[in-house]
Order: sequence, then C-alpha cells, then structure tokens
Amino acid sequence: MRGAWVLLGLVLAGACLAQTADVVSPSVGSKNFTESVILGEIAAGLARNIDTTVSHRRQLGGTRILWRALEIGQIDVYAEYTGTLAQELLQMPGADEDELRKALGERGLAMTGPLGFNNTYALGLRRQLAAQLGIDSISDLRAHPGLRFGLSNEFMQRADGWPGLRKAYALAQTANGLDHDLAYRGLADGALDVTDLYRTDAEIPYYKLVVLDDDLDYFPSYQAVYLYRLDLRDRAPAWVAALESMAGTIDAATMQSLNARVKLEHEPESTVAADWLGIDAPISSGRAARIWTRTREHLALVGISLGLALIVALPLGVFAARRPRLGQVILTTTGLLQTLPSLAVFVFMIPLLGIGAKPAIAALFLYSLLPIVRNTHAGLTGISRELRETAAAIGLPAATRLWRIELPLALRMILAGIKTAAVINVGTATLGALIGAGGYGQPILAGIRLDDVGLILEGAIPAALLALIVQGLFEIVERLLTPKGLRLGARH
Amino acid sequence: MFTLSSVSKHYATTIALDRLDLEIESGRTTALIGPSGAGKSSVLRMLIGLEWPDAGQVRFDGQPLRRDRLLEQRRRIGYVIQEGGLFPHLTAAENIGLLARAVGWTRQAINERAEALTRLCQLPDGALASYPSELSGGQRQRVGLIRALMLDPPVLLLDEPLGALDPIVRFELQAQMRELFSNLGKTVVLVTHDVAEAAYLAGTLVLMRDGRLIQQGTARELIDSPVESFVREFMTAQRSIADLP
Repeated sequence: MRGAWVLLGLVLAGACLAQTADVVSPSVGSKNFTESVILGEIAAGLARNIDTTVSHRRQLGGTRILWRALEIGQIDVYAEYTGTLAQELLQMPGADEDELRKALGERGLAMTGPLGFNNTYALGLRRQLAAQLGIDSISDLRAHPGLRFGLSNEFMQRADGWPGLRKAYALAQTANGLDHDLAYRGLADGALDVTDLYRTDAEIPYYKLVVLDDDLDYFPSYQAVYLYRLDLRDRAPAWVAALESMAGTIDAATMQSLNARVKLEHEPESTVAADWLGIDAPISSGRAARIWTRTREHLALVGISLGLALIVALPLGVFAARRPRLGQVILTTTGLLQTLPSLAVFVFMIPLLGIGAKPAIAALFLYSLLPIVRNTHAGLTGISRELRETAAAIGLPAATRLWRIELPLALRMILAGIKTAAVINVGTATLGALIGAGGYGQPILAGIRLDDVGLILEGAIPAALLALIVQGLFEIVERLLTPKGLRLGARH
Repeated sequence: MFTLSSVSKHYATTIALDRLDLEIESGRTTALIGPSGAGKSSVLRMLIGLEWPDAGQVRFDGQPLRRDRLLEQRRRIGYVIQEGGLFPHLTAAENIGLLARAVGWTRQAINERAEALTRLCQLPDGALASYPSELSGGQRQRVGLIRALMLDPPVLLLDEPLGALDPIVRFELQAQMRELFSNLGKTVVLVTHDVAEAAYLAGTLVLMRDGRLIQQGTARELIDSPVESFVREFMTAQRSIADLP
C-alpha cells in the first residue's frame, strides 16, 4: 500500500512543479472571437507603448465569463458592445449612453467612448441563394419556411437574439445552435442557408454572402467600447487615457479589414494590432516553447485536480463500501456531478474562484470523483465474503484489515478508476481554455476560431499523446503495485 | 468453554437455530455434525462473533460475547476455514505473521514461533515464502492451521477444515491433526459432514438437526444408545468400502 502513497506524492509533486505563478499585473480579457481578440491586443499594445506591463487573457468562453471576471476584478479591461451591455448585462433595453455610464459607475465600472463602428447582429445568406429566392430583407424570409437556420450558440440564447427576432418578424423556421465559425463553413458547404453575422465579419465578402436588411429595425445598436474597472484609473492612469483616446478611431471598414487579415490571411492578432497602432509587435515565442508552456499548464490542471480527487474520493469510496445506504447517496451524488455540462460548471465557479486555472481545476476535480469513488467501492465490495470474514474472525484490527487486506485486494480496481479519471481529465481539461486556464485547449480554440487546422493539431496531438502516456504510465504502475500473489492467482 | 443458552437465529424465511442449549467443554475436541441446514456452521460462526443470536446468549469462558470486546476475545480463538482461508496477496509467512505483527510482536519472535509451528505441522521449509496459489491444498490447510495457532490461543475453531482435500491427503492430515489436538490440549470445535472423521478426531460429537441439538456424547454412545431413530440412521448412513457387494 506504500506504493499508493508514493503515487499520490508523485501526482501532487508533479502538479506543484507544473503550477505557474498567478499574474498580478493589470490584465485585459477578450471573448472567444477574432474581433474581440484583436481589440484585446490593441488594448495590450497601447499599454506596451507606454511601458505598462499588462497580460492578455485571450479568448475566454463568452460574454458572461468576461463580465463576471471584470466585476470581481480578475480582469481590468475588455471590449464590449453597447447593445450587449444594455440588453444582456445591465438589463436596461433602450438605455442611452449616459444611462449606461451611470449604471456601470454604480458597479465600479466605466466605459470609453464608442470606438467608431457598430457591429450589430445581422442575418446573412449566400448571395446566389438570395438572388434565386429574391430575398433582400429579414421579412422576406417569412415566405421561405424551408430555409435551414444555423445560429451561433450565444445568439440562440440571448433574449435580444433569436427568440426576440423570431417573434418580431414572426418567423416560422426553427434553428440549430452551433459555433459561429463552424456556421460559416456550413454556409459554404451548403449544409446551412441562414446564419447570424456580425457586421464587421471578415467572411462576409469572402464567402460571398449578403447581409439582409433589418427592415423592422429590430437589432439595437452595437457600438464597440472598452469596459474597464474604475479603480484602474488609479492603478494605470496612462493606460486608461490611452484607451479613452481610441474613441472614434476605428470605423467599420477598418475593423473588417483587421478581421480579414487575421482570419483570412492568418496573421497573428498581436501583429495586426501592433501594425495598426504603428508600434512594434511583441516577440512571440516559438512553437516548441509554446507547446512546452501549454504542456505545463495542462499537466497542472490534470495533476492538481486528480491529486485532490484522490484525497477526497478514496476515503469516500471506502466509506461508501462500509455503509451501504449512505454509500448509495454518495454514488448517486458523484454520478450527478458527472452529468453537469462542463461550461456550466466553469461559469458557476467564476464567482467563487475567478477565472483561470482554479475554476477549471475545481470542475475537473468534481468530474474525477465518480470513477475513483465507484471503483474503490466496487473493488472493496467485490472482495469475497469468505476473505472479509476471515480477516475479521482471526482478530485483525479494523485499520489492519483495511490497509493490509482490503485495499490491496481492491487495488487493481481502484487503479483502474484513477486511470479512467486521469484520461478523462486530460480530455476535459482542454475546455479549461474557455475560462482562461490555458493548456492544450488554447490552440484548439484559436484554431477553430481561425479555421487553422495546424493550430488545432498543435493542441489536439499533444493532448492525445498525453492521454496515451497517462494510460501507459498507469499500466506500468498497475503492474508494479499489483501484489505478486494476485498476479500468480490470475494465472492459475 | 462455550455455553449457548436458548439461542435462536432466523434468516429471512428459515430458522437456523431454534432455542439451542449447548455446552462445549474446555480442553476437549468437539465435532458438530448433522445434515445440511442443521445449523452447525451457524453455531461455529456465533462462537467467533460472525453471527449474533436473535435471542438467547453465547458465553465464552463465562463471559457473554460482546461486540466491544470482540477483538480481544477473537485473539483467544484460532479460526480455520476450508482451504485455510488464506489471503491470496500475501505469502504463507505473511499470512502467518499478520496478526502477531498487528499485536506488536517483534520480527524475531514471529519467525521463531512460525518455524516451531512449521515443524509441528510438517510444512515443507520452502512453503513459507510461497503464495497461496503456489501451494497444494494440503499445504494451504496447514498454513491456515499455523496461522490460527500463532498466538497460542486456548481455543481452535475449524469449519469443514478438510472438506476440499483429496482422500489421501485428507487421511494423512486427519492423523496429524488428531495427534496435534491431543498434544496441544486445546479446546477444539470443528464442523464436518463426515461422521467417520468426526468420530476419529473428536471425543464429543454434537448431532444437530433443524437448528436443534438431538444428541451429544461420544461416538460410541450415539451408536449404542441413540435417543431416536434419526441418530442411528445418521451415524450409519455413510457407505464404507466394506459395503462393497
């Protein structure tokens, strides 16, 4: 059984080694789409230009995550749209700029003047199809109930998105939710007919799409602004001044061309932003260095969450085996945890743990409990009654029975549970990138966003390799830790 | 050594023991015999606290069995089941030393005692380093016996100890066990379904049926003066080679 302690120690030591220090400098966040990342890079570039060190937490999962992170001070700045702010975040539909500023001020937040472009939502379809069906405006869609709608997940769920639009225009079609970038490819392949767009999307000309006229003026104005925390005025006044000076400097055509350089010409966001600002681009690290950083981040996520899960799940499993009725409650509860969607768990964790590695570790920890608890329970209850009774009848104390008899006999099963948890963790940890936890999910997310298979593979291949390595390591550990008598027994 | 007074035990629908009164004498070998379901194993399991009576009382050495003192009482009892009940992940030596180690014996004391018992039970030298799956059935049974004798308990309980052995090994072990029991002078209680084995090993036979005691006495008494026809039938029911037509 000493082997199990050694294993636990190794996992925790590895986790600590891989853990990176938390950043305390001011930070800018960006949402998981290119324009937001470019605006984030512009904000970061402005800071670099005045020798202020800031970090950029790129492509976080969604509006909610950014907003909460800003509220609790995990990030200090991010680019938002006035429409989203009024409709979704502040729940003040139709509010003007002054009212928004006032509401933000009450929350310790502020916004810059509009940057100069209105990136409102719109619906688009292929130019050829539009001409064929004679569709110019959203109202025209009513005449074609057979059209297939594929809308971005966020648009599907927002009150000012699909539900409201559908009602306002009395549209009969139903829509499927999918990733915004996948929707473009769906349109190009002809798998979809209609999707939601942003006015400044680089793909509109590229995929030969038409933007339908919002003839009922349904969509509110989506002026881009920077949101920032009021206390940033004290901590980094020069940066705030630089951000404020961006008001009115980026028009829609400029933004569309910046988007196009990133999305269609595959230039890094930081370069595009620096070019436009007329400053030097930050030195980017090489591929090997990037992969090494992500490997460390990924190992930290998996190692720490697994280590914590071991500490909690092993005793829980033992307890569940000892007390059958409470055991059922424990097994059911850990089973329920398993069914929670990971993004929901991440968002739920943000108020408690902020963004970054911590909420991801907490979620992975919860997901690791079930396989370990269940296998520990199954391993212990699977020991033959004869052996369990003999251990008791010959007068062994309870602790000796557990450590010398029951756990060694259940060891194989327990290790299989830990292995399952570890391998699942390696995969699930890629989603941690949505809340800024880093890891292999980072290039995967960026790759999906930029339609860059190379970038996707830069995350996916190491993740798959890591899963295989973890699997292999556990098989070796299993062989080393399985008592010789049991291996002989299996052969007979 | 053991006294059962009016002990009853029910399982879901069946009665295992029905107001059983039984006295097991100290320093002698007693065999519990009877047909399947007679309750003989239940009695043995009750003596070691694996089962508890629904009604009545079990006394060990004058003291009622109590859950809070069970560990201490169990250490004064050696317990052997069919095939020895050895733990498959531990070597014979580790199986034997397990309890002694738990109660704080030194390694040297454990080794000395194990060697003495190995000689006494005629276990080959190399067997101690082997795992149970590497031993023969007879050797496993011997290791189980050694493990039970390790702390030199005054009582030995054996549940069908020779049940799974082939006839020649069984014959040999019966002889050795008889010698061992008479040399050690312990209170021995064993369960067997083999009347001849019971008569050979034990001075006192306890014949049970349907959770009740039918007759207790020497084999001779049970054969010569049975209290009912069932006793005679049971004592003579087994075929012997002499019955060969």
